[in-house]
Amino acid sequence: MALLPCGVFFTSYQTDMAYTHTWRQRACLAAFLVFLFALPVIFGVRIIAMVNMAAIVSIAVVGLQITTGYAGQINLGQSAFMGMGAFVCASLAVNFNLPFWITIPAGGLGGAVLGIVFGIPALRIKGFYLAMTTIAAQIIFPLIIMHMPEVVFGGAVGLSLDPAKLGNITFDTDISLFYLIISVAVIMIFLAFNIVRGRIGRAMIAVRDNDIAAEIMGVNIFSYKTLAFAIGAMYAGIAGGLWAYYIRFVGADQFTLYFSVWYVGMIIVGGMGSILGAILGTIFIRGLVEILTVMAPIMVENFPSIGGPGLWFAGTNIILGGAIILFVIFEPRGLNHRWRIARTQFRIWPYPHL
Amino acid sequence: MEFYLIDLVQYLVDGILTGLLYAVVALAFIVVYRSGKILNLAQGEVVIFMAYIIWTLFNSALIPFWLAIVLTLIAAALLGLGIERFIFRPLIGQPSWAIIIISVGLMMLIQGVTQVIWGGGERPFPTIFPESPVIIGELVFTSSIFWGGIISLFILVGLTFLFGKTRWGLKLTAVAEDHKVAQSMGISVSRSMGNAWMIGCVLASFAAVVFLNGQALTFDAATIGLHALPVVLLAGLESISGAFIAGIIVGVGESYAAAYLDPLTDGAMSQAFPYLLMLLVLIIRPQGIFGWKIIERV
Repeated sequence: MALLPCGVFFTSYQTDMAYTHTWRQRACLAAFLVFLFALPVIFGVRIIAMVNMAAIVSIAVVGLQITTGYAGQINLGQSAFMGMGAFVCASLAVNFNLPFWITIPAGGLGGAVLGIVFGIPALRIKGFYLAMTTIAAQIIFPLIIMHMPEVVFGGAVGLSLDPAKLGNITFDTDISLFYLIISVAVIMIFLAFNIVRGRIGRAMIAVRDNDIAAEIMGVNIFSYKTLAFAIGAMYAGIAGGLWAYYIRFVGADQFTLYFSVWYVGMIIVGGMGSILGAILGTIFIRGLVEILTVMAPIMVENFPSIGGPGLWFAGTNIILGGAIILFVIFEPRGLNHRWRIARTQFRIWPYPHL
Repeated sequence: MEFYLIDLVQYLVDGILTGLLYAVVALAFIVVYRSGKILNLAQGEVVIFMAYIIWTLFNSALIPFWLAIVLTLIAAALLGLGIERFIFRPLIGQPSWAIIIISVGLMMLIQGVTQVIWGGGERPFPTIFPESPVIIGELVFTSSIFWGGIISLFILVGLTFLFGKTRWGLKLTAVAEDHKVAQSMGISVSRSMGNAWMIGCVLASFAAVVFLNGQALTFDAATIGLHALPVVLLAGLESISGAFIAGIIVGVGESYAAAYLDPLTDGAMSQAFPYLLMLLVLIIRPQGIFGWKIIERV
């Protein structure tokens, strides 16, 4: 636990469990939320498009954090679960003309169902065996999509959607979509903080730390492992639904193992077992990718002798792969741990950190 | 489609030969896994990296054919030692998730490095086996699959002998069973792990030669690694000879699914079959057919 500011103590369980403990924290949180919703006013459309993408990905990564970071169930199929959400959402929107506030939760449900199906083997197996079943999910998923009747998921062509509508508002620009995406993201992340500090989260942590001991303590392993997959995949499904409305096109090749690997990379860089870590990791990796995307044309222009744009994009793989390897070897607790140290140092300054 | 008995035999033998090749990639996994409970998901990328090295060596006019083979083997051994020393050795004693995830990181890293060194685009892979098909009686085989399958058979027998009968191989088997016990018997665990990685990478380069013979070399070929996963899990993660049988089961199943089920399912069944089999194995018998059942104590 991070150290609290001096003079803060609790007289009841409720105050101990509260999100914020001091007026400063409350003010900072409020200021942050105001800043978040004022982003389109401050920055241009380009930045907002980046934020949109990062926010969608962060929902999926927070879900992965719950499955992998809290419940300890390694999941290399998050991208397939996200794809399932996107396809269910798109299919309902195209075939039945349902509004987005039905299709996106339905996408979440679709993701959760797929998550449960591939999570059930978790009862008998763990570690890399489990990673294998989720990889199998990742490989079987596009086959399911491609070979269903074309009306359902669009087959090899994919599905195109109309923009989301709410009354008179049409979410068809980056700015309007920003408010939709960021509202959903804030709600989902708030829920995630609650899930992991409540009964469910504690049971999951017990399962992660030692599942046999947890079972002896009376935690029903089967239901909590399944629940971990269901919740994580539901987050992915909702992210997929937002993705469908953001890109307005879904195809099976948008949800490959490659992206699942990126999501795992994000929770490693951010720190396992922390919702904040998932968000930090997403921002860090998405930020690096965006910087490389912006830098690549500039570098090609100024240093044409080194190589074409392909070279610089290949660089993203080296950076992500390298970041994962370095973080696992040197800082397995991730950016979140560094952030805690920084915060504690700030609080106890000028004394050296603990 | 009319049914001919000779087709049945042709698909069977095709399946067996392809299965033997899967078994070789699976062996690369298994040998590395045994050395230190390391499941190397980057195996497909190792195959591709070696394929690019082979392409460079065999297309160079200066290097004669025999030297290219020797250099390939040396490069494979060095790659294996390097990966072991700098990436997996710091993780000895770490939880299993760290090892899975670092292998995922390695996967991305090798992809990136390969793209940076060789760039994108297709290139023709050297034709090491002759291109004309092998015809025996009424059966027709692609020559790379035919010769590859036969060489695989020798590799499998050789490795079984190596790990079961020779002093050097028995050391690796001891390390596979228990690091602490092996260490206390005077076997260097880290050197054994290095050796295992060397064997793994050499097997990977053999797989690259057989699978890509005379075909277009692109980065997509890394899926070979994923193809071998069902074989590995069916065999059990520790079993050398199990890979042999599991490879044949998966190869033959895939071949028959492609011939008789694909027309009914629009081409999906032969691709999905190995993974469905894998899921079934994981649920019914997680340790595979020949794997070691691990009893967990708290």
